[in-house]
Amino acid sequence: MEIVLMDNLWVIIGTFLVFLMIGGFILLEAGSTRMKNAGHIAGKTIFTAGIGSLVFWAVGWGFIYGEGNALIGLSDFFYGDASISEEGLAPAVDFMFQMMFALVALTIAFGGFAERAKLSSYVIFAVLFSALIYPVVAHWIWGGGWLADHGKQDFAGSTVVHLTGAMAALAATIILKPRIGKYNKDGSPNELAGHNQVYTALGVLLLWVGWFGFNGASTFEVADAFFGFVVLNTQVAAAAGAVTAMFVAWALTGKADVPTTLNGALAGLVAITAPAGFVEPWAAVIIGMIGGIIVVFSMRLFDKAKIDDPIFALSVHGTVGVWGTLACGLFAVPAFSSEIGWGQPGLFYGGGFTQLGVQTMGVVASGIYAFVVAFIILKVMDKVMGGIRVSEEEEMVGLDLSEHGGYGYPENIPNPNDQKGA
Amino acid sequence: MNRYVELKNWRQKYIKMVSTNHDELNHFHDELMRKTVECAMEKIQREWGNPPAPFSFFLMGSAGRFEQSVWSDQDHGLIFDGDRECEDYFLKLGKEIAHGLNIVGYPLCDGNVMASNPLWCQSLHRWKQQISEWLMEASWTSLRHFCTFFDSRVLIGDRQFLTDMKSHAITMINSHPKLYLRFVENVDFIKKGIGIFGQLLPESYGEQSGSIQLKQTTIFPYVNSLRLLAVKEGILDSSTLSRFHKIKDIYPSIYRFEKYFVQLLHFRLHFQQDAQSYQQVHLIPIGHLTRNDKKELKLFMKKGYELFSHTKKRIVNEWQAW
Repeated sequence: MEIVLMDNLWVIIGTFLVFLMIGGFILLEAGSTRMKNAGHIAGKTIFTAGIGSLVFWAVGWGFIYGEGNALIGLSDFFYGDASISEEGLAPAVDFMFQMMFALVALTIAFGGFAERAKLSSYVIFAVLFSALIYPVVAHWIWGGGWLADHGKQDFAGSTVVHLTGAMAALAATIILKPRIGKYNKDGSPNELAGHNQVYTALGVLLLWVGWFGFNGASTFEVADAFFGFVVLNTQVAAAAGAVTAMFVAWALTGKADVPTTLNGALAGLVAITAPAGFVEPWAAVIIGMIGGIIVVFSMRLFDKAKIDDPIFALSVHGTVGVWGTLACGLFAVPAFSSEIGWGQPGLFYGGGFTQLGVQTMGVVASGIYAFVVAFIILKVMDKVMGGIRVSEEEEMVGLDLSEHGGYGYPENIPNPNDQKGA
Repeated sequence: MNRYVELKNWRQKYIKMVSTNHDELNHFHDELMRKTVECAMEKIQREWGNPPAPFSFFLMGSAGRFEQSVWSDQDHGLIFDGDRECEDYFLKLGKEIAHGLNIVGYPLCDGNVMASNPLWCQSLHRWKQQISEWLMEASWTSLRHFCTFFDSRVLIGDRQFLTDMKSHAITMINSHPKLYLRFVENVDFIKKGIGIFGQLLPESYGEQSGSIQLKQTTIFPYVNSLRLLAVKEGILDSSTLSRFHKIKDIYPSIYRFEKYFVQLLHFRLHFQQDAQSYQQVHLIPIGHLTRNDKKELKLFMKKGYELFSHTKKRIVNEWQAW
């Protein structure tokens, strides 16, 4: 019984750590965007976490883990269970831990909305994403759905959380179109620099620490203290991602660009999320390094393709989320996969292409589902709501004022009501 | 019609004819600027009478080095041999010159290095004092001012004024050899034009994205190296090419870079001849370059970096040997 209680304690600590990642996202997003939108970005993250929590409680958990079929769960709505069993997690602890992942996915999706979406679009999309997009993919992979049956490996959510969130962000950024001033008439991109790199760096650090819970507590138990190994993998991958991205940015542009370095750390973390419990530490370093390389090229590619991704959610969580998932199919060792009945070893450990195939199928199916459903939802919202983007004037004034009637930094922005001249 | 506008039209009509020949283009600029300054002098003379003291008007920056491209901004100063009371007259003249040159097609200098600024329009006596102060202070800004000043030549007026000041500076620097190191430090930063994979590094963002800043990445290492050597050897000529020729016998290993600089000047004019403004003139869109052009540009950059590193090493080593 003591062990069970310790399992529960460890996972609830993980829950707190993952919820603190929302604080990391607030700093990351606010720092990476302009001053006039800072209060809005911080505030919307808190209230969408509120919406996401209520929806997850009402239907999200039920769609993921309820009794149902290979595509969706259909029981346990409006969840509440105070029981504790002799083994495994107490249902409420499990519920809380899972809810945090849903909130992180939702926050990632909103990265694609930054600096130009109406507040009302956030409200409606938070409900629909938390009910119709995230739970379906989570059910497929974690809730005993059709991808779980194939042995899809996703230790803590490279696909379920990061890719799903990023695909919704992609749909949003395509429909919303680039921010005013991002591209010149000749198509060349401008750098709309974030207003506070210190916030961004602190955000990354907070996320990094939170990730110890995200990956570490995904062991769901304290047995063998395996969480220590998972955290070790997480740490070296993030470190490798940061260092590599900085080096790549320097090699390509001649400058060791700070935002790119920070995105490299996040890329390492996203990449190791799926393989954290399946690979050896040396492989974690390689996975983080490749994440750090991919993220730089992905950022440049989206910029060139005129897809304005203000906080690089598409690259960090999407492109690298795909890489992290596929990395399992390359580096998973037998001891942590076939020998414990969770999929097959990777290509480099004699598993052939079987696991890589399953991982690819998982990425493609989940990615397409998340993108298509998010695109349809946002298109319909766009029509019904008379646009999901604020007017040009509101965007230029900034969402702090236009959507909330106040400024994140009131002392630093002159009163826009003080009109000069005639 | 306003005389300045006439000069502007004259410029537009004829500059195309000389835009690909370095020498002819710079003689053209000299003639145009001389006419503009004379016009400004006449205007001030009409309004305020004859100049109260002898003076000389000198050019700095690319004009001072006789290295202008099709477009360049204004960098100039004025020395008068008189007392403080004359200053008002010459500042008025400086302002009129800046105004006229601006109309004719030389944009005002962002850094305010113009004879309309009291810092760059002073009596001979004050100028000498100013130069001594710059050198004694030896801060980054004061030495940057000095470097700007040192690339100067007289366009109108008595050449001896400028020669006297430069000689005064050289004497002072010779007695404080540590200044050579400070000069090196002053220009030690070179904007990178090539990455570690040998690729060109254009601007990443903004309307300049995809273009190379030719001045900062490629031309400056040559100009700065030769200025360092000119200061060290007491060479008063302001153009990089003349400086190359003057150091030929002292530093044969540096003279071998002269041919690259000559080619670079030609390369620059070839790509800049159609530039429509000063903002455009230093930008080379790499999309417009052929494979060979890129190869050539990279060679100029590499040779420039090599030249600067070689110059730096020579100066530092010689200083250590003292």
